[in-house]
Amino acid sequence: MSQAEASPAGPAPGEVLLKVDNISLSFGGVRALTNISFDVMKGEIRAIIGPNGAGKSSMLNVINGFYHPQEGTITYKGETRRKMKPHQAARTGIARTFQNIALFKGMSALENIMTGRNTVMAHNPFTAAVYLGPAKRSEIHHREVCERIIDFLEIEAIRKTPVGRLPYGLQKRVELGRALAAEPEMLLLDEPMAGMNLEEKEDMCRFILDVNEEFGTTMVLIEHDMGVVMDISDRVVVLDYGRKLADGPPDQVRNDPDVIDAYLGVAHD
Amino acid sequence: MIYREAGQFKTSYARDGGLYPIRQDRYGLIVLLLVAVFAVPMMSEYWLVTIFLPFLVMAVAALGLNILTGYAGQLSLGTGGFMACGAYAAYKLATAFPDLNIVLVFLGAGLVSALVGILFGIPSLRIKGFYLAVATLAAQFFILWLLNKVPWFVNYSPSGVISAPPRAIFGDIYVTGATATPEAKYLFALAVAALLALAAKNLTRCAIGRSWMAIRDMDIAAEIIGIKPMATKLGAFAISSFYCGIAGAMWAFIYTSSVEANAFEISRSFQVLFMVIIGGLGSILGSFLGAAFIVLLPILLKNAPEMVGLSIPVDVIAHIEFMIFGALIIFFLIVEPHGLARLWQIGKEKLRLWPFPY
Repeated sequence: MSQAEASPAGPAPGEVLLKVDNISLSFGGVRALTNISFDVMKGEIRAIIGPNGAGKSSMLNVINGFYHPQEGTITYKGETRRKMKPHQAARTGIARTFQNIALFKGMSALENIMTGRNTVMAHNPFTAAVYLGPAKRSEIHHREVCERIIDFLEIEAIRKTPVGRLPYGLQKRVELGRALAAEPEMLLLDEPMAGMNLEEKEDMCRFILDVNEEFGTTMVLIEHDMGVVMDISDRVVVLDYGRKLADGPPDQVRNDPDVIDAYLGVAHD
Repeated sequence: MIYREAGQFKTSYARDGGLYPIRQDRYGLIVLLLVAVFAVPMMSEYWLVTIFLPFLVMAVAALGLNILTGYAGQLSLGTGGFMACGAYAAYKLATAFPDLNIVLVFLGAGLVSALVGILFGIPSLRIKGFYLAVATLAAQFFILWLLNKVPWFVNYSPSGVISAPPRAIFGDIYVTGATATPEAKYLFALAVAALLALAAKNLTRCAIGRSWMAIRDMDIAAEIIGIKPMATKLGAFAISSFYCGIAGAMWAFIYTSSVEANAFEISRSFQVLFMVIIGGLGSILGSFLGAAFIVLLPILLKNAPEMVGLSIPVDVIAHIEFMIFGALIIFFLIVEPHGLARLWQIGKEKLRLWPFPY
């Protein structure tokens, strides 16, 4: 937990923010997840890795309420929940980004990030229709918050650009901004660096570490780039065919024989 | 005048979030409003009653559908039904409470339509796209059937026709009914349309409008970042139907003065849908441009041969009118699938760089 402990505003180590217990999820006859248990400490960067189809994205979908597991429990901030809608999960402070960018194509970067603040903004049609007064004050206040995020992510120049026109790396950054706008306690990142070149990956790593350090945001991230995972994460969970293979600090996981088998194949001798 | 924003600096988020951040646009709108308020009423009764009134009424209906389909992405074919709902609600309110101010009658008609809209918007929670469009047909057919079947809605009039009672604002200026002057009717309709357009613009640039667009662009992602799908979709249905209801009340009270339910049949719904598509989905300006295109063009085509001095038989004109009208719709959709509003925007962008495009 080097990153978290290094920062003065860092969280108290050892406090469990999220605990998933014996989660099993199946679609018809296909078992996506089988008896998965792990926990996420407050303020840590937790990586989930595994080969394609291992159930990593399904795990994130379970955490933010998009899939409902048949078995098992999720305990978030000390509260055990069984079924929760995604928008309720968002209101408890869970934000996420997507493997395939899921930005709102018809809106500008700024509007996308402002939409990320919807959980803390009022949706009163009467004041909105008049605009002057409460709605305007609220728009300006939240615009200021979003502008700080835009500064942080260094995307000032593209704030008014429709997101469909942006290159891939910037779209990923806007998506991170949209997730950050909700000021989440826990951020689920689904392959934040997929398809990026080295420079863009380094930028993204820097943003992830900075967010973790400055805001103390807990991160759960899925990533295929092992170098990145080993460098920035505090602990790693390895999934394969919906089962948990290993769980621990990067060094331990790296040398785990099961993990090596899963990634490189088993030698038949 | 050169259309250029160079040198117009915005130093606060309030200025940047303004309705018309570019000065030329602001002046343009003021001039347009001045013309609409002072110059247009000088025109002949024919222009006011057969051109500007239907244009304003249909523009309000198009605004309503654009909120639902263009901003919130929920396809609807129930517009005519919601307009009928507003027209009959206004009639019942005006006849049941003769002293009620006409503005309150319109608001009440809008609210009744909004409630009906929420009811028929419930299927949108489960289905979307073309399937939703078919489900909203239920609103269209059921409402018209109900209005034709239950004589209570027409106050037991044997003909099934409702006649708008005369109502005045500011004491003695009659704006509805047979005694109202065309000028008063026009100015009242203009005020209603302008206020509703402003409200729509404000709604769509606030949090509520962004949540509509989020649901439209990617509903799953919208829900995952915390937007409540049910409240957002039903809210869009309610506000859209509110607009359509007021448009229906304007149709019955200001435009025609007497109306039967069949004025709001399915072809009216399609008419409004075409306005929204041709004008531009997700654009307030597009609602007006689309209404102008659909309402004005047939009138223009009808009168064009006479204007240039050709004498063509009336039935031939009617056929040619349909052919040109259809061809123009296809032409515009091919040239710019995003509608007239997008064409206008492209034109403005070109103008910004003129005469030094880079």
